Amino acid sequence: MTLKIEHLTGGYIGVPVIKDINLEIKPGEVLGVIGLNGAGKSTTIKHILGLLRPQKGKITLNGIDLAAQPTKFKRQVAYIPETPVLYSELTLKEHLQLTILSYQLDEKQAWAKAHELLQMFRLDDKLDWLPIHFSKGMKQKVMIVCAFLANTELLVIDEPFTGLDPLAVANLVELIKNAADQGKMVLMSTHILANSVQAVSRYAVLNNGKIAAAGTLAEIRMHYALKETDSFDQIYQILSQEQQNA
Amino acid sequence: MRDLAKRRLQENLSQSLKYLVLVFNDFFILALIFLFGALMFWYAQAMKSMPESLWYYRPLVGILLWLPLLIGKLVTLLKPADLQFLLPEDENLASYLQPMLIYSLIVPTICLVLMAGIIFPFATIKAKIGLLDYIFAVFAVFLAKVLQLKVMEYNLYFNRKISILILNILFLLLLGWGMFKPQSMIIIAILLAAAVFILVLKPRHAALFDWQYAVGQEEKRKNVVYNAFSMFTDVKERQTNIKRRKYLDFLLPKNLASENPHKFLYRRSVLRNPENINLIVRMTAFAVLISWLVQNWVWALCLSCLVVFLTIYQLIPMVDEFDNNIMYRVYPIERTDRGLDLVSAIAGILLAQWLIISISWLITLPINLHLFVAMGCLVVFSWGVLRLYLPAKVKKRK
Repeated sequence: MTLKIEHLTGGYIGVPVIKDINLEIKPGEVLGVIGLNGAGKSTTIKHILGLLRPQKGKITLNGIDLAAQPTKFKRQVAYIPETPVLYSELTLKEHLQLTILSYQLDEKQAWAKAHELLQMFRLDDKLDWLPIHFSKGMKQKVMIVCAFLANTELLVIDEPFTGLDPLAVANLVELIKNAADQGKMVLMSTHILANSVQAVSRYAVLNNGKIAAAGTLAEIRMHYALKETDSFDQIYQILSQEQQNA
Repeated sequence: MRDLAKRRLQENLSQSLKYLVLVFNDFFILALIFLFGALMFWYAQAMKSMPESLWYYRPLVGILLWLPLLIGKLVTLLKPADLQFLLPEDENLASYLQPMLIYSLIVPTICLVLMAGIIFPFATIKAKIGLLDYIFAVFAVFLAKVLQLKVMEYNLYFNRKISILILNILFLLLLGWGMFKPQSMIIIAILLAAAVFILVLKPRHAALFDWQYAVGQEEKRKNVVYNAFSMFTDVKERQTNIKRRKYLDFLLPKNLASENPHKFLYRRSVLRNPENINLIVRMTAFAVLISWLVQNWVWALCLSCLVVFLTIYQLIPMVDEFDNNIMYRVYPIERTDRGLDLVSAIAGILLAQWLIISISWLITLPINLHLFVAMGCLVVFSWGVLRLYLPAKVKKRK
């Protein structure tokens, strides 16, 4: 029961953004992917979601190869994008119904969970709203509710904290921790380290499209020779210097 | 800012010309020539038989001259990004808006000249309006348009907004009543010129520029233009404004058991996406209208079959309507039977179309056995195109 990314090289046509990436996420693990803008975080995520075709390498989830069985693979993956993407034709309730249909969930159980999540994010009285009436933060909350409703083995979260109010950030961190406790795998890309440290069990530092370091918070600090008194955010300055030296 | 305005106007002109070339293609020009010829022929015949100097002729001329006032809003070409990048340019906006106002006058002026030319024989011969009075009346309408655009410009600032609707009604009354005594047109023209003069010379707006309102108005204006172009060609810049239409929810299945993601999405798109529902309404109304005009069951059947075919043909792009939505591609949705799912989603709507056309036949055509045979043929044809042609066409699209 793992997500395995083996020797992944990819990006856009003619522009390889990530080079020979190897990653593994085990059940109950929350992997935080960190790095500067353009380091390859979102590109890695797009490959895991099957939105980009790898130039080299392989991605498997619980033994299911993404390239060979895309629908079976996707049924085990839920995604929260950086910029919320909703169907303009569907109300909030219908987004939840579409999630139930797509992930073939038990309707009764799914609705019980949905109501819990809707209450948590204060959306329970907005079931009949179209996305056009939601603020950016509310749209992001809809994405979170749909992703956690899907109850998948792997949760992919891209920059989840931007646009959310502090209460929603705390709720999201709690949900991620609970998911990990239930043995789910979480891959999260973020810049806001202060929030991520509460939930992340292991980090992968991406720089220039390559994994520069991977390990626990303590291991990453040691790798970059950060003192105990140093802020973890200093890692970005080091990465920037490494980019300039490269 | 004036340079920016000129650059944007140039870009807008070339974009509009690009679409106008597509709209006014050879076939459309030919159709227009025929239509205009037919209209002018009818007009010439009507002029011969029309009695002279009826009391309502003059106000009718005023109302007809007023119509071009409804065409064209203030073109500002402001973009959402201007909220960010031009925000500190409030003071310079007057110089930006000046060439915009002149540009905004082009289309309404062409329409006014056309209208004035067409009704000239009626106004001078039948309504007995003097040439000079008529020229002043046309000039007064032109000044009213300038005034209307100046008010639209004034509304772009955080002033108390002046209703354009009320202004138009005021102009209608002014032109309608004024035409009873065409000599008054010179006074109306002078008054309007004075109003324009005051507004042009008025010290620059002390108020802040209402950026949100201005950008919103421009988006609305552009969408109207794009909607007009989209009746003839694909317009990539066009935005679709989804409508909730809760009153149509009874047409959606109540439980999810018989649904799949595609059927679920297509059904809602048919009902809420104006492009789809407007197409179906427009085509159905067209079938009803031509059936009534031909007054013959064979022609009504043939033309209605053509309308049904064109309706289904134009709905085919719905099949990949969601392809650009990332969530659609991330969700585990099987794409193998999309064609059949689309068939299920639009079958009910096409049945309603058949029903409306059939009812209209019963009302407008002579009722006999042939008519019922035609209804049967139409439903079989609709079923055939829907069940056989559409899935095959969708497969080809892949």
